[in-house]
Amino acid sequence: MKQWITLFKKEQLEMLRNFKWVWLPLVFIILGMTDPLSSYYMPRIIDAVGGMPEGTVIEMPTPQAAEVLLATVSQLNLLGVLIIVLASMGVIAAERKSGLAAMVLVKPIPIINYVTAKWLNVSLIGCVSLFVGYITGWYYTSVLFGTVSFELFLQSYVIFAIWYTFVLTLTIFFSAIFKVAGVAGFITLTIVISLSILTNIMGDYMIWSPAQLGDSVASLIMVGQLGDGFWLSLSVTVLLVVAMLFGATKILENKELE
Amino acid sequence: MNGIALDSTTVMLLMPIAIIQIILAIVALIDLVRTEETYGPKWMWLLIILFISLFGPILYFTIGRRSY
Repeated sequence: MKQWITLFKKEQLEMLRNFKWVWLPLVFIILGMTDPLSSYYMPRIIDAVGGMPEGTVIEMPTPQAAEVLLATVSQLNLLGVLIIVLASMGVIAAERKSGLAAMVLVKPIPIINYVTAKWLNVSLIGCVSLFVGYITGWYYTSVLFGTVSFELFLQSYVIFAIWYTFVLTLTIFFSAIFKVAGVAGFITLTIVISLSILTNIMGDYMIWSPAQLGDSVASLIMVGQLGDGFWLSLSVTVLLVVAMLFGATKILENKELE
Repeated sequence: MNGIALDSTTVMLLMPIAIIQIILAIVALIDLVRTEETYGPKWMWLLIILFISLFGPILYFTIGRRSY
């Protein structure tokens, strides 16, 4: 346990040194602000740059608060996931490439400790960034459009954070397989995107899919209740996370860390 | 030409974005100075961070740094 904490602290220190704890939350704050603000200013933006002929009247219904929050969610689901995957794709791969992993693992450290320390760190920074971004979005939505209850926000955040953890575990898994960080990131993103698309078009067959968590966030915000397959997809997600952590450990054990 | 009149509410609403962008650029610049090598020449990253707002620093942090 003591060893694990040392590894954990080493990761923390590294993430402070390379400013991840600064720039990721800041970028997520901006992501959270964009949608409420652009919806709020849309009529005036169209007025200013739309090039509409004189006297055109466009009636734009003011969007509901829930719709704006949902737009924020999809923004965080798209750009947020992209950024967080790019930021953490090298977490094991780069360390192996530079020989740092070999230096750490020369000592008698169980590889599972190494992997889980990294995993918890990456998940932590991902979930904190998501929280900061999402709460900014929620705050701006509440100020500009009307209230969405805080309780609903928190509940949807928890589900959203589980989806993020899943994505980040996927990143770590592929980061353990491939030595080139870019390849790990690319494959993770491909899988996440195709999973989301497949879940959208074949919802009936994909009721177990972790991407259903995103739909649950949406239905929680819009109708106030969870989607149909929520519990199933939650269990599958948790199982997959555990399996991928073990898988990453096994893969690293069988690789020579030159 | 100023498309959207800058009343005080607008300024208050948009101020945080401007501040965050400036902080991001400064942090990226500090990191650029301290780091030993980047992918591609350093002066290129300097220009990217300075002249592409928001996405410049993000690009630098995600793909410019050699160590993660």
